Amino acid sequence: MKAATRQSRFNRTLMALAMLPVFGPAWAQDPAVDALANPDHGSVSVGGAAVSGDSRDRSLFGQYNGLRKEDADLMLDFSWVKRDSATGTWAILEGRDLGLTTRELRGEYGPQGNWKVYGEYWELTRYYPRTINTSLQGAGTTTPIVSLLPAPGTGSDLDLKTERKRTTVGAVKRFGPHFLVEASFINEDKSGARLWGRGFTCPSAAAPTPTCTALASGANQWALLMVPEPISSTSKQFEAKASYLGEKFTVIGGYYGSFYDNDFGSLVPTVNGNLNNGLGVPMGTGGGVPLTAGLRGILQLPMALPPDNQAHQLSIDGNYAFTNTTRATFKYAYTHATQNESFANMGLTGAPPGRNDLGGRLDTTLAQAGLTSRPFPKLSLLANVRYENQDDKTPIDLYNIEGTTRWTNGHIGHKKSSGKAEASYLLPWGVRGTVGFDYEKIERSEIEATDVLGGISGVRQNTYEQGWRLEARKSMSDTFTGSVSWVSSRRSGSTWLKPLSDTATSPSGQPAGVMPADPDCASATVSGVANACIWSRTAIFPFIFEDRKRDKVKFLADWTPVEKVSLQLAVDYGNDDYSGPTEKGLDRQKYNLYSADFAYRFSDAVRLTAYHTSMAQTLQVAHSTGYIAQLRDENHTSGVGVIAQATPRLRLTGDVMYILDRNKYPTALDAGANAATQAQFGTGQLFIPDATFRDLRVKLTGAYALQKNADVKMEIVHDRTRLDEWQWGWNGVSFLYSDNTSVSLKPQQNVTYVSVVYTYRWR
Amino acid sequence: MRRSTLFLQALAAAAGFALFVAASPAMSADAPSDAAAKKDLVLRGDAKCTRCHDEGDDYPVLAIGKTRHGTVADGRTPSCTNCHGPSEAHLAGGGTGGHRPSPDVLFRGAGKSAADKQNGQCLGCHNSDAKRTHWAGSMHEARGLACTNCHQVHTGHDAVRDKRTQPEVCFNCHKEQRTKIDKPSHHPIPEGKMACSDCHNPHGSTGPSLMKRDSINDTCYTCHMEKRGPFVHNHEPVSENCANCHDPHGTTAENLLKARPPFLCHQCHTPHGGQIGQIVGQGQQARIGGQAPLLSPITSGKSGINYFMARGCTNCHTEVHGTNNPSTANPTPQFNFR
Repeated sequence: MKAATRQSRFNRTLMALAMLPVFGPAWAQDPAVDALANPDHGSVSVGGAAVSGDSRDRSLFGQYNGLRKEDADLMLDFSWVKRDSATGTWAILEGRDLGLTTRELRGEYGPQGNWKVYGEYWELTRYYPRTINTSLQGAGTTTPIVSLLPAPGTGSDLDLKTERKRTTVGAVKRFGPHFLVEASFINEDKSGARLWGRGFTCPSAAAPTPTCTALASGANQWALLMVPEPISSTSKQFEAKASYLGEKFTVIGGYYGSFYDNDFGSLVPTVNGNLNNGLGVPMGTGGGVPLTAGLRGILQLPMALPPDNQAHQLSIDGNYAFTNTTRATFKYAYTHATQNESFANMGLTGAPPGRNDLGGRLDTTLAQAGLTSRPFPKLSLLANVRYENQDDKTPIDLYNIEGTTRWTNGHIGHKKSSGKAEASYLLPWGVRGTVGFDYEKIERSEIEATDVLGGISGVRQNTYEQGWRLEARKSMSDTFTGSVSWVSSRRSGSTWLKPLSDTATSPSGQPAGVMPADPDCASATVSGVANACIWSRTAIFPFIFEDRKRDKVKFLADWTPVEKVSLQLAVDYGNDDYSGPTEKGLDRQKYNLYSADFAYRFSDAVRLTAYHTSMAQTLQVAHSTGYIAQLRDENHTSGVGVIAQATPRLRLTGDVMYILDRNKYPTALDAGANAATQAQFGTGQLFIPDATFRDLRVKLTGAYALQKNADVKMEIVHDRTRLDEWQWGWNGVSFLYSDNTSVSLKPQQNVTYVSVVYTYRWR
Repeated sequence: MRRSTLFLQALAAAAGFALFVAASPAMSADAPSDAAAKKDLVLRGDAKCTRCHDEGDDYPVLAIGKTRHGTVADGRTPSCTNCHGPSEAHLAGGGTGGHRPSPDVLFRGAGKSAADKQNGQCLGCHNSDAKRTHWAGSMHEARGLACTNCHQVHTGHDAVRDKRTQPEVCFNCHKEQRTKIDKPSHHPIPEGKMACSDCHNPHGSTGPSLMKRDSINDTCYTCHMEKRGPFVHNHEPVSENCANCHDPHGTTAENLLKARPPFLCHQCHTPHGGQIGQIVGQGQQARIGGQAPLLSPITSGKSGINYFMARGCTNCHTEVHGTNNPSTANPTPQFNFR
């Protein structure tokens, strides 16, 4: 305890104590103590903010903070808190960012320990950071109209956004010391539009003639359209719980209902006139024909939007203390989820005869039980098991077609069993050693014999994963603690299943759906009959089914060498190796992280913090007969912050943060690539550039106390962001949709934000 | 602080004390001069503590009065000793080397109590709470985290309970997430509109990764309910786990995707074949080595540019989360075209 520190504060308490007898015995009446210990207050903060540049300069900075569109904004916050000392009744009303599209309002009232009611209003607008230049009419509606822009960049700029407006109300009531009832209701309206689109290429086995208009031999025709997904929906959540809170036993019965309602059912675009070909000139120029009736018809087919859906969950959970050192937890829950929106209401046709809606139904049962115990002071044990059965009871019907062959839909349910057991023992030298075992088993719904697995080389019904954990934690002193852990797990699975292309409506006598496969012999078809071998050099098998070896090491140390200094060091390493009956697909994922944090307290008035984190993730993934990629994401983030009470009235803070995130896409070419690609690749012209994100952000704030109950705060933020990406264009060449729509983002965005806010407080 | 000012204040305090003695008949020269005679400042029975622990401490304590812990009218409100223990030795003083013995339960600083001992004090009241029923055996509990690693009690503003300041508390340990939330595609955590506890229950849950709901998907559906389905045509890995494709903490690829298409999609699907990664303007129209150009008025839409640029595979397979389109007309919605 520093003498100088005591001097600055000692006086307040001393004065408070001295005044006690003069002003009466009740502590709450003492103004000095009251100021320190009474929550009652009111405050209003009003001011303005100005932001430099235009909406394109602020598209990354203003994605969520309500500062993208307007150059100047009203800053308005308020807070009012009153607690009745006699009854312990709280009344709270707070508003934040009331001048922005991120405004929030919250209120609460009730005697503590008895009941309370609360409500909250919350808004969020998310601006899509890229600007779309287009001739599209009716963007954000269910009937947009596509027409060809005469030239790229000559259309109207379209900025998409999604708005959320959420209202929450709730209540809590206690009945004696052991019973509690609570309920809450959340209503969220979401509106706006998000980037979306559609495309198709003819000819296609998925749309044989006459659906695709017949073309000359070797000729193709395709189109990609940008059509925003219109959003106008409401989601509601209702939750109610009744709890018994005993000394040894706690049990909570609950209901959770969630309901999604979409005002829109489908999007039906209209395509007028011709479109461009892949060279950016009208179809039919230099080869081919203008947009055919077939492709136009396909592009104008209805696109389904998300259907209404509902879920109801009943649950019971809690814990029981057998003794002071042995406790159990448990949960049982049943969820009934449905989706039965009428296809007709959605504007969708062509359902199988007699089918008016999907009749989707998922019933999920969850059971969990856990036990922790400390049989001896140095030994802690824990065990936990969890079982989840998601039973898909959706009716099966002939929804799928390709050409003239028909299949049904399938089921998505699963059973997940997981568990862990852990023992922790306090070893000599203050080291706590922990050994743990985890397992997880996923049993997926049986593949319907009449379903087809499009685009999948193989599946597994079940996967199993077992892992071990070792950890050592040591508190070397009150000033140094450290821990190191190693986690290793191995995943395998049941027999691989080979998808068959037999049909539900005209079986050729072969097994339908899937067949058990041998992963060690090469897939082949002999006389039109597929064999049971599944291995293929170029096939890709879903990584969620593949065998996996996972290893992770983590190290974390905290050190306070002297009272004023603290240091923290973290090192993480992780590696996933995948293997399946192939050489392609996801092969490996790896990541490592190094992080150092530093804090220094110059005095009670001045503190400095700094940190640096470097992280790298690599992904080895290979296309079947195309690229072999070693993706790499390198991220370096650094920050420095200072807090200084410069004078008794003036408080200053400064923060500088810098991020450098570089995504690299080095690719090689598989030997099985087609000749044209090999020839082009040999020129060195085909490559994927790095995508780089840099952000330098400087934030300075100064708060000056004009008087005891009023201050003015100034905040200056300068943000310099640069995002170089190739997703929508590169080196001055834009990616163009077939109507000459283009999407762009200003790569270098510099924003300066200044706000000045006056705050008045009262008690 | 000038010495003269300090002197005047001390003089005023002494005068006040004299007044107190005169105004309090119960106080006599024979009355005990221990803590019982002093007044509680904030909590019941705190006089014996606040005679020393005042705002002059390195760690000011009176602000607990601003919080739920300081609402004396609520009979459950603890006193100092309910949390810190009776601490008779600490009150009595003495000790060796001029160091007063610590309180029975110390939550910070040199000599702080073990995590389970600290937590036992908090859980004496807070174990009976719907949000903490699964604390025992949870990841944070099993890793020896004390409540006070995250929570501050003697303050009017507990940083971890305010979504604007909560992430910084979590980032004390979770460095990977600290680097991710500032990437271009992120949830509005840096903007203060969401916090870690919107998805996670750090006190324990039945879901994986301390999810608030029973599964990752159920947690995501609380805000993204339109993805729940089920659909006529489901995309099975979507239904199984949103994290198969998304990293909710932040990514450079759009839409919080772990990798951009087609690299993401090629981790499961054998695609149309033959393409190398390429973007516009790389001379795809040229005939090289007598081979057909990669791009011409009549080449297929299944081209390298369309796979890698714009929305990648979802340029055509747009209904990537599933589609409720029942149409049995070609082209089938089964491939998530519509």
